[in-house]
Amino acid sequence: MSHFRKHAAIAALMVALMSAAPSVMANPAAEPISQAVQDKPFAVARVALQISDGSGDKQQLVLNVAANLLKFYGADKVDIEVVAFGPGLRLLFKNNALEDQIQSLSAEGVRFSACDNTIAAMTKTLGHVPELSPVAKIVPAGIVRLVELNKAGYFVSRP
Amino acid sequence: MNKKTKNLSKKIALASLCTSLFLTAPHAFAANWLMLQGTEQPGIAPPVKIFGFIQPTYQKDFSDSFNGKYSSPKLIGPNLDTQSSFNILRARVGARGAPFSLDDKINYFIMAEFGNNSITNGGRYGSYRPYLTDASVTLNYIKGLRARLGLFKYPGAEEGLQGINSLNYINYTNVTNQLLLERYPTAGNLNILPQSTPNASLNGFSKPSSGFRDTGIQLFDAFDVGSWEHTYAVMLGNGQGVQMADNNSHKDLYLYWSSAYLFDLKNKGPMSPSVKLFSWYQAGKRTNAYNATQEQDRKRYGAGVSYLKKPFRMTAEYMWGKGMIYQGANNPQTLFNNNKANGGYIEGGWFIPNSQWELDLRYDKYVRNTDLPIETRFNTWTAGVQYHFNPKTRVTLDYSTRDYNSDAIAVNNQLKGVKGLVALQVTAMF
Repeated sequence: MSHFRKHAAIAALMVALMSAAPSVMANPAAEPISQAVQDKPFAVARVALQISDGSGDKQQLVLNVAANLLKFYGADKVDIEVVAFGPGLRLLFKNNALEDQIQSLSAEGVRFSACDNTIAAMTKTLGHVPELSPVAKIVPAGIVRLVELNKAGYFVSRP
Repeated sequence: MNKKTKNLSKKIALASLCTSLFLTAPHAFAANWLMLQGTEQPGIAPPVKIFGFIQPTYQKDFSDSFNGKYSSPKLIGPNLDTQSSFNILRARVGARGAPFSLDDKINYFIMAEFGNNSITNGGRYGSYRPYLTDASVTLNYIKGLRARLGLFKYPGAEEGLQGINSLNYINYTNVTNQLLLERYPTAGNLNILPQSTPNASLNGFSKPSSGFRDTGIQLFDAFDVGSWEHTYAVMLGNGQGVQMADNNSHKDLYLYWSSAYLFDLKNKGPMSPSVKLFSWYQAGKRTNAYNATQEQDRKRYGAGVSYLKKPFRMTAEYMWGKGMIYQGANNPQTLFNNNKANGGYIEGGWFIPNSQWELDLRYDKYVRNTDLPIETRFNTWTAGVQYHFNPKTRVTLDYSTRDYNSDAIAVNNQLKGVKGLVALQVTAMF
């Protein structure tokens, strides 16, 4: 009986340790730009917002700009993608204090792209993959995504 | 740039401008002081944020002397020399943030006091010296069990726990000033009889007051349950205020609980519309500064409620204490005692709609040495008006009428001449 108890205790400990470890869910890759354009057929404005600064003020500014664009044009008439790279990737960290606002914008059709190069660099520094918001989609390189969005007719802005 | 792009560019510039204007408003400070002072917002905390505030103050006391001599409640602190004085009551500079932005589960908070008050002014037996008031590190790795270590405000009564630049009055209530703002005598500090002005120099405590702070470790966190936010804290500290090192082997225990109903879940700022109920307890032992073989229990506990929904604000607290009951700034030698005291206050504010004016009214009561022949009572009404130039700068004008009396004849003789006190202060935050 005591042997069984010991095993049960070890098993419980292992389960507890496993549940305490952060579970890293891989975020999906961003859809191709051509697909994103097709998904917003009535958009009269297409805007890519760059966030490459880690400060809270800049993060808030980008989200507010996206919200103002939605307010001005309406959700169906504007196509917005926020591209985060460098220190700006903090915007898409899981449990960011602005997560509620990010979720709300995502629900209104704003896309959030996370730079894979930055994720790799941060993984090296941190020793583990940074956990991202579930709305974040991975792009190979943030700056390349902006170039491609611009080529597709998006107005690129860095608020 | 074609016309369409130009047009869009203009609109984005406009949107950015609107957003920038929005951002000039100060960041929301949570009215949950434990979380506000001990933690940073994840994902957006900077590595270093410099902050502080300055409070130039003028006060005039209209009390009468007794036989040409003045006691401490009739003089302007912390020097207690005269009945009117300009002063820099507080001038604090600090830094806070998350030093490593990719792992902002570690936060820090450091601040120093350069103003002239009971922390920095040693009175008759000391001299002015700036003091480190806060130096803490918070570890946010375990959900529900944050740990804050170092020197910081202990979890306790609302008036002491709140960011002092948010206090809506210039002076503390008597109950907070006497029962909670702990003083620490040293063996050389002697009691001082009432003196004539100027240069009465009645402040007899050479060590800094506690500043409602302690050095130790605090476990705490806040939890949202529907529209409610519950907060707890358990702390062990030296019980020596801002002095950092302990003078005995006993540690002070602090317990805190608050439950706030949030009328607006998205607004947890300082003006968060909410009703908060809170209670707290602290217990420790003090060593007699004049005889190190003697020790004394010191207990404090209290409860209160705060309400804010513009244009109205209301706070009420009541608290009790036993042991180490402060007997006045001029009486360091009588602090080591097992007396009892209790008191409280109720205050309210009205933000005049569509203006930058605010009217405040507070009543506070304190009974010192209860059930003893030296029982002394302090009743104060304070009326205030504040003008907010902007969210970070305001001017405050307070007038207090005071009714103090004691069962001890000698004390009563001094207190019956206590009259009105006018105070003017500018608070500028950065």
